Amino acid sequence: MFYHISLEHEILLHPQYFGPQLLEKVKTKLYTEVEGTCTGKYGFVIAVTTIDSIGAGLILPGQGFVVYPVKYKAIVFRPFKGEVLDAVVRQVNKVGMFAEIGPLSCFISHHSIPAEMEFCPNVNPQCYKTKDEDVVIHAEGEIRLKIVGTRVDATGIVSSSLHSFHMQIHKCKL
Amino acid sequence: MAEKTVVISQHHLKPIQILKWKIREGFSVSVGSIVLLYDFEKVDQKQQRRFKSPQAGTVCKLIAQEGAIIRPGEALFEVEACIHPTVMNDMCADCGADLRKDDLNATASVPMIHSVPELKVSEEIAQRIGKADSDRLLKDKKLVLLVDLDQTLIHTTNDIIPPNIKDVYHFQLYGPNSPWYHTRLRPGTHQFLTNISTYFELHICTFGARNYAHRITAILDADQRFFSNRVLSRDECFNPTSKTANLKALFPCGDHMVCIIDDREDVWSYASNLIHVKPYHFFKHTGDINAPPGLEKHENDEKEGVDLTKFKNIPNLEKIMDERNNRLSPVKKDDILDNATDDEIVLKKKDDEFETQVVNNKKNIPTADSPVEEKATDTNLNGKSETDEVDGSNEKMENVETENKLENKDITQDNHITDNSKEDVKEQPKESCEESQENKSALNSSLNLTEIEDSDDYLLYLEDILKRVHRAFYDEYDKMESGEVPDLKKVIPAVKGGVLKGCKMIFSGLVPTHIKLAHSRAYQVARSLGAEVTQELEESSTHLVAVRPGTAKVNAGRRKKDLKIVTPDWLWACAERWEHVDEKIFPLNSKGSKNRHPPPHCSSPEHVPNYAIHNTPASRKRTPSGRFMDTINPLMSFSSADIADMDKEVEDILDAESESEDENLTEKMDAIDELAKDKEDSSSSSGESLTAEMPRGHKRSHEQRQDDEFEDDTKDSDDCVSAKFRRGEQLDSDLDIGQDSNSEGSAEAPDEIDDGEWNMMGAALEREFLSNS
Repeated sequence: MFYHISLEHEILLHPQYFGPQLLEKVKTKLYTEVEGTCTGKYGFVIAVTTIDSIGAGLILPGQGFVVYPVKYKAIVFRPFKGEVLDAVVRQVNKVGMFAEIGPLSCFISHHSIPAEMEFCPNVNPQCYKTKDEDVVIHAEGEIRLKIVGTRVDATGIVSSSLHSFHMQIHKCKL
Repeated sequence: MAEKTVVISQHHLKPIQILKWKIREGFSVSVGSIVLLYDFEKVDQKQQRRFKSPQAGTVCKLIAQEGAIIRPGEALFEVEACIHPTVMNDMCADCGADLRKDDLNATASVPMIHSVPELKVSEEIAQRIGKADSDRLLKDKKLVLLVDLDQTLIHTTNDIIPPNIKDVYHFQLYGPNSPWYHTRLRPGTHQFLTNISTYFELHICTFGARNYAHRITAILDADQRFFSNRVLSRDECFNPTSKTANLKALFPCGDHMVCIIDDREDVWSYASNLIHVKPYHFFKHTGDINAPPGLEKHENDEKEGVDLTKFKNIPNLEKIMDERNNRLSPVKKDDILDNATDDEIVLKKKDDEFETQVVNNKKNIPTADSPVEEKATDTNLNGKSETDEVDGSNEKMENVETENKLENKDITQDNHITDNSKEDVKEQPKESCEESQENKSALNSSLNLTEIEDSDDYLLYLEDILKRVHRAFYDEYDKMESGEVPDLKKVIPAVKGGVLKGCKMIFSGLVPTHIKLAHSRAYQVARSLGAEVTQELEESSTHLVAVRPGTAKVNAGRRKKDLKIVTPDWLWACAERWEHVDEKIFPLNSKGSKNRHPPPHCSSPEHVPNYAIHNTPASRKRTPSGRFMDTINPLMSFSSADIADMDKEVEDILDAESESEDENLTEKMDAIDELAKDKEDSSSSSGESLTAEMPRGHKRSHEQRQDDEFEDDTKDSDDCVSAKFRRGEQLDSDLDIGQDSNSEGSAEAPDEIDDGEWNMMGAALEREFLSNS
């Protein structure tokens, strides 16, 4: 689900940026540091919409770095257990399929794919399809799925090295 | 799936009344999901409470009725517990339970998908899927082929190479400043994959890193026709030095339908279903860049391959890349795109994903009508000066610029310079998830690319071998009763064993006299091909494999009409191609053959155990010889430990000499005898005298290698025989090893050593004086 919420973030700025462009730098740094990240509580931060306030900077003793507390509003994407979402299939294999919902990657096990759908490894691209070929799911196809579980993984297995959720679905449909 | 059912009972201390069920039979519940609403009995204020499931699984039966009053301990409903048969990242993919948090035991343990090791399934599901796989393969009359990448299908180097070689792919894997990889496909790879994929389901099993493996796969198989995600890389390997361990996971029903092609046997533990491929060597001085640590082999790195350093007039790739990055500015992009449209259309027809534009500076400069060139010089003086520099060094330089649309705008790319020719450089658009750029040499630009003669045609033979294996397997399968499946681990050796069936060969000069025939590598090669090998010439012998003419066996063999006399190369060719090669190609002529040892793909490094024994003296740790002149040599500085070592050795020598004077024989003993004695009784005095003498011989050969100027040819040839033998090296074929280091050789040795070393020392002193003055 998407939310527009207020968040806070602390920006640590190197003294080399102290100058007329200081606040600009704080803003750009906020965008790069925050957008695209993921936390277990708020999910993925999709985009910063407004920067509400940049607090008074505090110079760290002995270092010269300055810390700015920044309050901002952002659009976040927080997947929930039981939520139904649209996803794009990335890979199908004999154990199940991998799909992506924006920044979120998920796995759908064979068990959760309707029983009448069979895995066909011989066709290119590989796919799951029903006997009468009414429904065919292959890579790049779109499916609707229901999340049965999520996990935030700090190691960031997915290519973008973000934190990512992994989830499974219950039913899927083209 | 063997699921256990769990009865969920009422766990409160007071009786409760069920108000409403929130689940039905067949529903799946997870831990903490609400199953029913209840209230305690006889409570004044009515309140709905939620009963949460303590167990994940599928509800199979509701025992209690709505409205009923349940006493503590009485059953509420039955759940078929999820045994978590499929686990992704420690989370059950069926019920969503977090297996880390709940400390639940998952049955899933088999990572069945090559590239996703974190996805595991239970043994049972693995068996089921594996069974379905092999059934499908049998139905399609296919087999599984595990393909190695490095030196089997491709050869990759990190060396600096000229950018304009045909069929070489250049790419970076880890961002803009990471090393460049240059990959050459073995000639005929695409044809090979296309042909073989109708008989085999292809998997990649490589020790390359995941990024590398997938990048190469994208090159080999752009539309995923051959491999489709079946790529196993080092990141997914269980064992860093062996690929065998992963077989069980990938093929849970057994590897009886698995055939392997690889250029090294050791990583597969010498599996019998492995076809040992002749390693592909294209870039000189580079072996397998992804060899497992500690298992590198270099035997042919310097010998085989094309030495690209001879293309010296071509500016090296790094320089070009640097220049390219300097020169291209975003301003130019639009101009170039305008200019490019015509070219683009043509090129787009050739290859949709590439967009290439070629600007010929040489033409443009005189006419001065090129906005591109002007802009380039205006906006980037730095880049221009570099161009001038390169122009100076190459008289007929032409500047070729290639421009690309990249998905990431911040990386501008590609300006290529070659000499005497234009070069099409194609750039692949950035793939969404990969941080790598790729320069691809254009395949279809006939005008410019340097084509390098590559005589490697092994894939044709390999294709033939694999087709034969496939045919043999399904011939046998058809003969068998239904339900039975032949094992490739038996079929492949059988196919190989049929190659030279009926041949009865004898060897001449091929097996050193001190090695038993049955232990020799040549014998093993011949036997594995199904030939019979005898010690002496027999009536029924068909082949005489001789290293050189003139031996007794060859002379005797010449008198037999139907006996074919060939060089060992014939045998190696048969072993390499798995076919009965025409003997006429390898006749024994007066020169003989030098290849007494099998080529590396017939003999892995580990496969020369017979020589290891004789290696021991050479591999013994060398200590300074301990003679006086060494201790006063000003060029050498010794630690106290070294000196203590020397003292001990001097004593050893003195002891040994006093003893040997009594016997008056030891000096004349040849090296072989001493070795034998040494082995028998290493603590005896003769053994010690040997250890004292050994370093001398070594020292000398070492010095000679170091300072070629002092090398004395005659001494060298004398030295060679014994020293080489001690080192376990290959001896000249006309040398009889049994009488190797004859007495006069070792008797003369000390004088020569003195000579050589005094010479060397004198020269070294001289050099020092010269450098000081």
